Amino acid sequence: MTQGDLRMTATAERGRALTMLVDGGELTASEGESIAATLLASGRRLTRWTARTGEPRGYFCGMGICQDCLVTVDGLPNVRACMTPVRDGMRVETQRGLGEWGAGQ
Amino acid sequence: MSATPRSVDCVVVGGGPAGLAVARTASRHGVRVMLIDENAELGGQYYRQMPAGFRAAGGGPLGKESVEGRRLIDEVRTLGVELCLDAVVWGIFDQRTVAVATREATSLIDAETLVLAPGAYDRPVPFPGWTLPGVLTAGGAQNLMKGYRVLPGRRVLVAGSGPLLLVVAHYLLHGGARVVAICEASPMRQLWRYAHRLLPHLDFVQQGYRYRKEIKDAGVPFLTGHVIRRALGNGEVTGAVVSRCDDDWAPIGGSEQSFDVDTVVAGYGFVSSLELSRLAGCEHRWEPALGGWVPARNREMESTVPGVFIVGDGAGVAGSAVALEEGHVAGLAVAGRFGRLAGREYSREASRARGRLLHLAGFRRVMDELYRFGPGLYSLADRDTTLCRCEEVTAAEALEAVREGATHVNEVKAWTRVGMGRCQGRMCGPALAHLIARATGRPVTDAGVFTPRPPAKPVPLAALAHESH
Repeated sequence: MTQGDLRMTATAERGRALTMLVDGGELTASEGESIAATLLASGRRLTRWTARTGEPRGYFCGMGICQDCLVTVDGLPNVRACMTPVRDGMRVETQRGLGEWGAGQ
Repeated sequence: MSATPRSVDCVVVGGGPAGLAVARTASRHGVRVMLIDENAELGGQYYRQMPAGFRAAGGGPLGKESVEGRRLIDEVRTLGVELCLDAVVWGIFDQRTVAVATREATSLIDAETLVLAPGAYDRPVPFPGWTLPGVLTAGGAQNLMKGYRVLPGRRVLVAGSGPLLLVVAHYLLHGGARVVAICEASPMRQLWRYAHRLLPHLDFVQQGYRYRKEIKDAGVPFLTGHVIRRALGNGEVTGAVVSRCDDDWAPIGGSEQSFDVDTVVAGYGFVSSLELSRLAGCEHRWEPALGGWVPARNREMESTVPGVFIVGDGAGVAGSAVALEEGHVAGLAVAGRFGRLAGREYSREASRARGRLLHLAGFRRVMDELYRFGPGLYSLADRDTTLCRCEEVTAAEALEAVREGATHVNEVKAWTRVGMGRCQGRMCGPALAHLIARATGRPVTDAGVFTPRPPAKPVPLAALAHESH
């Protein structure tokens, strides 16, 4: 995990602060950020473990194509973190394999 | 599925520079246009806009393209183009019937004319460690910094080929990251040979020079003729190894160099997104300089399927300036089909745009020669390297199928599940074709392309269960 906040704060004013839960822990986000942007800004690279070999994966293509940054959001698995905006109170779970409906609920 | 799809004069898929240009030109001439994009805001990758609620501050380089894009987006909105955002086109049936899914519902639209502007994506190149969190594409790094103003890491190795590497390094430095090195695969020898051909494009040359100077002033090593050899780490990236490469971009043993990094950005050019043009039944041809397979088109940007036009990087990777002109030409052609443009006006406008395209093509040819893709890069993958990121199939497993007699990507897919996952083979397809070609000694074109099947992208079941009109 890289240390500190990776937001380029000098280059833009950001949306209002909101709070989401990542694997049960609170994480502050700016409204408008994608889930991936929020996770990466806090140095969290891991989004899921693969189904077959349990390898760690994260943000790769950043444009909705590679399907590697999948997370479970409010109990719904296989949500692309790079294409999904954060919401206040959203529950994000690092996904294991194909994911499990209702995980983290 | 709906029995009577809604009919629209012109459906444009993709809201980047090319799609926006089509929508602007066609609707200016009175054509009813619907513009569909997968993102919540128009702009595509090049004109990527920051989310609502963000505001650029302190000047700097990150907002330049989005300001230009903002003007075009506002113009398209003002013209009354029907926008369908946050929506995925997951199928094309009977050549021009478009299946589109939003988060809640799916519907069918009969397009009288269909313009595909799907863009391109970073050419995926498997190398040991390329699936580790902390390895990302140049496009992904750019989106993160330009769109969300977030750095991908603090100590970054940038490896790949082409001018985008300089742009990414420029953004990283601007954001305060440390760029430990830039590895450009092209040897970049004898640049003076291109001087006379670059004279008409001095603005591009000056921009490139400014980037190079900034990088030099920041003390960042710019290693030409070097490729990423592997990303290291347990759980996430903690290091990277690079090596020299030959003119075919194959790594040269014994020339390895290690770097202590937390992030590797890889950007070996782009390939066109072909799923929709293939689902529409368009013919494709092999053009390595344009990224590989590209749809065949006539002067009006119309594909081999009547009424289906394809513009921008999705029809061969050529950049945003070309995309804008191609979009304009297709927009004119569409207006002509609906009798909205007199023959003489059409000829005058179209020939002006073609003149500009010819000018841009001169620059592009130099870039193509300078950064000519070297397929030796595909030898970076070890036997154990993951080839198919979705189904976790290794290079060795794919090669085993080739040894058993598979000669086409679809055969390897059927035998090993490579390309069967959620990305629909976008990530492994180009590399697999080259692996087959090397193993069989036959041309890469013989290995073919995965047959695309709907849904072209995963669609939530909730959307498929619910129709709307």
